[in-house]
Amino acid sequence: MRTGAAHPLDAFFAPRSVVVVGASSTPGKPGNVVVRNILANGFQGDLHLVNPRADRIEGIQARATLDELPDGIDQAIVTLPAAQTPATVRALGARGIRAVVLAASGFAEVDQIGAALQADLGRAIREAGVRVIGPNTTGHVSTPAGFTSSFFPLGRVPRGSVSYIAQTGNFCGISLRHITSAEPFGVARSVGLGNKVDVDESDVLDYLGDDPETRSIFLYLESIARPREFLRIARRVSRVKPVILLKGGASDAGAAAALAHTGALAGDGRVVDGALAQAGVTRIRRYSSLFHVARALDAVGLPRGNRVSFLSPSGAFTVCLTDLCRAVGLEVPALEPRTLARLQALAPSFIRMRNPVDIFGSVGLHGYERAYGDALDAVLADRRVDATVVILMLTSETGMPSFDFLVDCARRHPAKPVLVTFMGEHRHNLAAKAWLETRGVPCYMQVEEPFEVLAVLARCRARVRAPAPAREG
Amino acid sequence: MRRATAGIERLIRAARRRGERFLSEHDSKRVLAAYGVPVTREVLVRTSAEAAAAARRIRYPVALKASLPGEAHKTERGLVALGLGGERALRAALGTLRARAGPVFRGEFLVQEMVRGSRELALGMVRDPQFGPCVMVGLGGIFAEILQDAVFRVAPLSRGDAREMLGALRGRRILEPVRGLPAVDRGALGRSLVAVGRIGLDHPDIAAIDVNPLIVRGATPVAVDALVVLSPAPAA
Repeated sequence: MRTGAAHPLDAFFAPRSVVVVGASSTPGKPGNVVVRNILANGFQGDLHLVNPRADRIEGIQARATLDELPDGIDQAIVTLPAAQTPATVRALGARGIRAVVLAASGFAEVDQIGAALQADLGRAIREAGVRVIGPNTTGHVSTPAGFTSSFFPLGRVPRGSVSYIAQTGNFCGISLRHITSAEPFGVARSVGLGNKVDVDESDVLDYLGDDPETRSIFLYLESIARPREFLRIARRVSRVKPVILLKGGASDAGAAAALAHTGALAGDGRVVDGALAQAGVTRIRRYSSLFHVARALDAVGLPRGNRVSFLSPSGAFTVCLTDLCRAVGLEVPALEPRTLARLQALAPSFIRMRNPVDIFGSVGLHGYERAYGDALDAVLADRRVDATVVILMLTSETGMPSFDFLVDCARRHPAKPVLVTFMGEHRHNLAAKAWLETRGVPCYMQVEEPFEVLAVLARCRARVRAPAPAREG
Repeated sequence: MRRATAGIERLIRAARRRGERFLSEHDSKRVLAAYGVPVTREVLVRTSAEAAAAARRIRYPVALKASLPGEAHKTERGLVALGLGGERALRAALGTLRARAGPVFRGEFLVQEMVRGSRELALGMVRDPQFGPCVMVGLGGIFAEILQDAVFRVAPLSRGDAREMLGALRGRRILEPVRGLPAVDRGALGRSLVAVGRIGLDHPDIAAIDVNPLIVRGATPVAVDALVVLSPAPAA
């Protein structure tokens, strides 16, 4: 699946055979949910189950002990309690299994006894020579392999080009449920790092950097396990594909360093800011941006730059959203003369057309499709424009017109993202969003969102060297 | 650089023997100069006669500073006399400073060239617990603490990193030609940033470095005051 040499994490993301240790026939228990998740995602490899009573679970005959398993299994998912994990890791290593996902919580995140257990687990991992995701994680997802180790009920996870690295089980749990139910995009890989006792964000970032299934990488981190290694890898990967990070918490300089002015300044998060900027990581500040930006990046490529045009049915939007563009680092350039001529030809003579494009008068003269369609084509053809936002105005009187024109227009200009937002009657907005997003046009329910997203994409573009091609179709 | 490194290690050991957590201004600048950061011409003296001889060589006007280890706010304590135009003023200032210096004073003064320039920058290094040695550049002088306009990057810095840091300053236009002043030599400034990061990487005993102000003389930034902070002494 990957180009070039095998990566140490291949056994996690493209396993040929998997065993669930602690599989359960009781609905709702982690050892049962994980089996159901694997089956629901259509995993094509061999699935083995270990359960001391050797029950039949979800139609698969479990074995009572690890010794009864065949040789050569790629990956184990362990849903046993924390206290049993060190011994289990040793036993799995002895059976030649090199990739292990540990779900249990009750380690260093809880108390000193848990910390001692985690230290014991660390020794077991080193001695057994295995790689471990977790503990204290919901696991991971790899849609190209039709596989997940998550014990959070997921159902089938749609395949896409976005990958997540998260210091929370959220992105193989509740946030993934949000994505699969509310978002038009699918994921390629998603990893909940848990306590990072072995595999950390640097390992996964390194893997995703060369992963042909992953076109953009989103991280949620509260700490960085090997900061300098992370920066080294991020520096490489961020030149190839967007690396977008939401980081909680700030770094503090030591007490000795704080004796100097430089050290006092460093205590203010500036070091983390600088280090991540240096490594080409694009920072976001809002959790919802982890979805909003991914929605765009799965559907459209990066724009060439930060120059936007937008079509607005209201003068107030042209004013307020131009202000927003300035605030978030987007330019609203003057349009080329021939673009202005095309726009003016659509408009009543008393309106002087410019960027942003006030579309209201044109709609009155020519109807929805022609006014929006011709204006959108005009601004997308403009060489001073890198991306466009369309603000649709839908009411019961307008109904939901055919948006074929919008989809066709976006496809005629694949290098320039077209993002859509709405003002008007909510149920029509929702209907238009659903229709457009299944056809590859990302939509946003709040008028500011597409601009904030384009600002992030423009920052990614300043770093990524090769243009990312838009998805086919 | 090996000889420079050995010299710096000697300065650090000497400070440690005296139980000090800072290098003096003069020693701090020797560290910087060893890595190619431009610093003021200056001479360490004890007596009025030595001071007068030094000032004649440096040429008036000169600055006189009481030399104390780790005194970060010499100006506020009145331990600095600037723009001394001749020997009479120099001798008078020496007497005043000696009287103010207090009990830790070991009787040493710095006679220093006056660096003329209206643009003041700051640069520094800090050892971050996560990222290791990091380099700072910002606006300096009295604006350093008020505007807090500073940018950090992790050492080692590439030339590109140094260039990009300067572009990330809110006040970056101060580096451009302004009010008849030439553009700041960004190449020279960038080399100083790279050098400060290199000091941090080469000398784990150095916890932080402050260079403030870094006065731009013509187009070239010169370290006018400097402070090297040592990390806590390793347990014996």
